[in-house]
Amino acid sequence: MNFGEFLIRRADDMLELGLAHAAVVGGAVLISTLIGVALGVLTYQSERARETVLAITGSFLTIPSFALFILLLGPLGLGWKPVLFALVLYGLMPVVRNTITGLRGVDPAVVESAKGMGLSRRQLLLRIELPLAWPVIITGVRVTTLVLLGIAAIGAIVNGPGYGELIFTGLARVGTPVAVNMVLAGAVGVMILAVVFDLAFYTAKRLTTSRGIR
Amino acid sequence: MSHTPNAASGHADASVMIRLEELTKRFPGQSRSAVESLTLDILEGEIVVLVGPSGCGKTTTMKMINRIIEPSSGRIILNGEDVTSKNPDHLRRRIGYVIQQTGLFPHMTIGENVATVPKLLGWDAKRVSARVDELLTMVNMDPAEYRGRYPKQLSGGQQQRVGVARALGADPEVMLMDEPFGAIDPITRDRLQNEFLRLQSEVRKTIVFVTHDIDEAIKMGDRIAILQEGSRIAQYDTPERILTAPANDFVKDFIGAGASLKRLNLSRVRDIELGTWDTVTTADSAETAHSTLSSSEYSAVLVLDTDGRPVRWVTADDLRRIDGRSLDQIGSAPQAVVEPRATLSDALNELVAARYAVTVVVDEQGRYLGVIDFDQLNEAIRSMRSTAVAEARSEFAAHDSSQEGPS
Repeated sequence: MNFGEFLIRRADDMLELGLAHAAVVGGAVLISTLIGVALGVLTYQSERARETVLAITGSFLTIPSFALFILLLGPLGLGWKPVLFALVLYGLMPVVRNTITGLRGVDPAVVESAKGMGLSRRQLLLRIELPLAWPVIITGVRVTTLVLLGIAAIGAIVNGPGYGELIFTGLARVGTPVAVNMVLAGAVGVMILAVVFDLAFYTAKRLTTSRGIR
Repeated sequence: MSHTPNAASGHADASVMIRLEELTKRFPGQSRSAVESLTLDILEGEIVVLVGPSGCGKTTTMKMINRIIEPSSGRIILNGEDVTSKNPDHLRRRIGYVIQQTGLFPHMTIGENVATVPKLLGWDAKRVSARVDELLTMVNMDPAEYRGRYPKQLSGGQQQRVGVARALGADPEVMLMDEPFGAIDPITRDRLQNEFLRLQSEVRKTIVFVTHDIDEAIKMGDRIAILQEGSRIAQYDTPERILTAPANDFVKDFIGAGASLKRLNLSRVRDIELGTWDTVTTADSAETAHSTLSSSEYSAVLVLDTDGRPVRWVTADDLRRIDGRSLDQIGSAPQAVVEPRATLSDALNELVAARYAVTVVVDEQGRYLGVIDFDQLNEAIRSMRSTAVAEARSEFAAHDSSQEGPS
């Protein structure tokens, strides 16, 4: 059986695994973005605070994913929970970093004139600073998404959802004809998801960025 | 009305819009105060220019008025109300703010930019949109064309027009302008300055204007505060008085060598008495012209047409070679011609290049009114100077010795 026939026969599986993979990554990206943007907003004005938060979120990325999933088995058990939790940790750094970079990149003259017109701190942030930093922030979210799509596959080690299942099953059957097809199918599935997410981000960035700063 | 900062003398209270009392700003880690105990009254409806060398504290002073920079001590009184510790956001909505880099919001359209403060104040959409169109029209920008554009689609000069319109958004009582025309090419700057002065003659705002350029200060200011290091006032006075009666060497140095020439920018041709010149009309004969010329102290007569417009300069040489032509066909065309609203500086400019060392003054219909020569300009400068000196003397005498004079 060649790879093409394999894909056709397992099409339902591929779709189901793909949706599960996308769901867990999508959820993790959403949570990472909310937390990451909040951390960036809270820390960008103070050098010490932003260096600290970047060091901590950066250190998460150095933990080998395999180890982290297994460590989370104890408190969170098997399934999607440890995977989601680990992905959120891995996803923070690019979002935090780009949020800080974006906010610090806003023209000081724009901020000063906004203050001078009587915008409150909150209005300044929501109406001026975040919209202007948005293209940089969404680029960070996009990087996070690509990183998490890959890491999520490893989550199958703790029975996590997604294409990792194909890869790990293939690994268990190394030497049999079907093994290569399974690993290949898992890898291709992740790549297709990456392309789909990337297109989605490209569209979202265009739609959510003002014409005045494009 | 006091020309020097004198918060204690209360007689001008009704028209004081901004009063700074003992205002001081010390930045952490700096031994000297950026602004040291500045006291200054700014009258309603006037443009007060803060001018001085870089580092003198003029921008810091201005930014303390809307508390972009919080004062270390002292009080800010706006229209009789102490605003030193009021909510700064509410204070700022009452004060228009224009900065050199314009600070337009790049992600918002021109219309949205101009609408900022009215929206903050909760105006309804209809009123906001009418106001935006009104303001854009006021700064000579067609609302239909520019409302929907983004800042990056405008030239520097247009951006600063929008900056001014935005600052006028909710019709504030006070405007602060920090070198608003500083980053604009000289020709556009001159036009924006003129437009702004015209606009100000309609809106009559109280304006604090910061610049390092004394020429801009003289042009824009009803009153100029020349500041030394620590925002100490070297002189606070009208442009005329600063040019004609500088209070000290610092002011003299700051004005620079061209003070007499700058003074000529302050007076207009209509303000001085015009000289006369011998004239004939195109209907006169060559003989009449000849006899006028021979009894004249000048070497040429000015030929006017039947409506009184100058058409030719005619000399004795021209008359000798007339060969039966009429007076308007000989001689040379008058070039140095100005109208009464021209400044004396314009008149001098024409005069220097003119053939007979004289500038011809005509009314709006082009009819001859008189002439200006070097003697008259010289006389005008001398009389400006003596008026200013006399004013300074009488004021000095009128105020008792407790009055703090310009240091």
